Amino acid sequence: MNSTIQAGEDSLAIHTQNLGKRFGSRAALDGIDLEVPRGCAFGFIGPNGAGKTTLIRLLLGLAEPTSGRMRLLGRDLPQGSSAALARVGAIIEEPRFSHHLTGRQNLQVHAAARDRAATGRIDASLARVGLVPRADDKVKTYSLGMRQRLGLARCLLCDPELLMLDEPMNGLDPAGILDLRHLIHELVAEGRTVLLSSHLLDEVQKICDMAAIVDDGKIVAQGPIHDLLNGGTRAIDISCDRHAEASGLLAAVRGVARAAEFEDQLRVTLTPEAPVDREIVTELLRRLLDGGVAIERVAPVTASLEERFLTMTTPLEDRV
Amino acid sequence: MFDLRLIGAEALKLRKRHGMVALAIALTAGVAVLVFTVTAVQHASNAGKYGPAGGLAHYRDAVGFLILMILVVGAIVGSTAGAADLESGVFRDLAATGRSRIALFGSRIPGAWTIVLPIAAGAAAIAAAASVALAGSLAAPSAGAIIAGTFALLLAGALGSALAVGLAALFGSRGPVIATLLAFELAISPILASLSFLGGVRQVLPGESLDRIGQVSLHAVPIALPIAMLVIAAWTAVAFSVGAWRTKTQEI
Repeated sequence: MNSTIQAGEDSLAIHTQNLGKRFGSRAALDGIDLEVPRGCAFGFIGPNGAGKTTLIRLLLGLAEPTSGRMRLLGRDLPQGSSAALARVGAIIEEPRFSHHLTGRQNLQVHAAARDRAATGRIDASLARVGLVPRADDKVKTYSLGMRQRLGLARCLLCDPELLMLDEPMNGLDPAGILDLRHLIHELVAEGRTVLLSSHLLDEVQKICDMAAIVDDGKIVAQGPIHDLLNGGTRAIDISCDRHAEASGLLAAVRGVARAAEFEDQLRVTLTPEAPVDREIVTELLRRLLDGGVAIERVAPVTASLEERFLTMTTPLEDRV
Repeated sequence: MFDLRLIGAEALKLRKRHGMVALAIALTAGVAVLVFTVTAVQHASNAGKYGPAGGLAHYRDAVGFLILMILVVGAIVGSTAGAADLESGVFRDLAATGRSRIALFGSRIPGAWTIVLPIAAGAAAIAAAASVALAGSLAAPSAGAIIAGTFALLLAGALGSALAVGLAALFGSRGPVIATLLAFELAISPILASLSFLGGVRQVLPGESLDRIGQVSLHAVPIALPIAMLVIAAWTAVAFSVGAWRTKTQEI
């Protein structure tokens, strides 16, 4: 074990250091340093082909890294993988089942690979994802959304400390997404950790406490969602009259990087040194009022995870 | 390495493939019933032209034929046990539980046996009962012959399944495994057995060993019984080892 990953770091559910995976000359993962604390919902987001699923496969022992270290639930991998994975439930890309078996029989098959108590958790798991009425129907009659829910039920069989969910919203209708959001919140409230890999950035923002953004095999940012959102440029939109005069007044305010017309209003872009919103907004309004500009509305621009994501990841046209 | 819960799960997956199980029964017990029924009807309608359907010689012929059919059934069931989870993607989810991949693989062979061996036993019982009941003026098969024949059929089921499971893990899909095993058992092996210049090398052919164990009258290569047993055990071990190695080392 690398000396910088200490065995006592059990506050982390997942810890990787300089983790790499190459397929021939192509690096699917390159120097991934990921820290996922226990007891949180952690979003793992990135464009297609960024390496999200590859990382999950490495953590689950489905493929071997070409470099770096991994630690899962306080155990070094691969040495401690059996013990660690016994408390990990995972959906990888899309949950797969034996379609000629019923939902319940599929869970029985999976429970046989888990601890002896897993079979006793089948009914509760089915109930938790709302599949009891269809549990004895063959899986080939299930919709994609039902298979996703059955996949979640399968994750719960091991009473997981950690769930790794790779695109679990695929195929879910809006009500299903809402149910899943509630379920993940419940799971986290029970002290479990959820690693959520998803393209639905809005959902990640709603569900997760923390996130990592991966691009081209590298993590470009990670931390609390709030910090990620605030890591971008701050701006304030002001609806007023006399835009040209107003922008000249505002550009002279300390802490303003730029003031320019944007969608029928003024967008005031702030420098990193600008004071907190309350102070800078007060100053901006004072300048405008002193200058005789009539103000209709003032609103700080709220960055979304999507906007942050797009500024951090490689545009589609630039990907090799 | 062999976990009863995993074996039970494997058996469940196979048992619920009703079409495959019906085909396996039809190819063995069904064919045995058909052959004995037709020859019995022929004998009843013209005893001068057609001899009794039963007797020792017919029993040995039936065992020889059923060995082939049970190898075919073993190929079908074993390849399904070995490759279905890989093809469907279920194996990835099972491997992600942290269970030993060897244990997951190890459950497939006995899982296939839970389907194939009862079918082989049923076919053996039909052949034995019909050979005794329909012996007429001919010598009925002795208890020793029936035991040898039944044992050979069970071994054929065990070997056929094990070979298919091992190859399926290697290939990752059912079709090539069934094609390979059928080609080997039905075409390549008989040709090799007939090439006398190969001499004792032909003893490694599993079909010849099964014929020897079952005391089938037409086996072409002289083999001592212990050697025949050893050959079957070695093929089973090779199949297990190859499949286990592939299952353990492949990235999913």
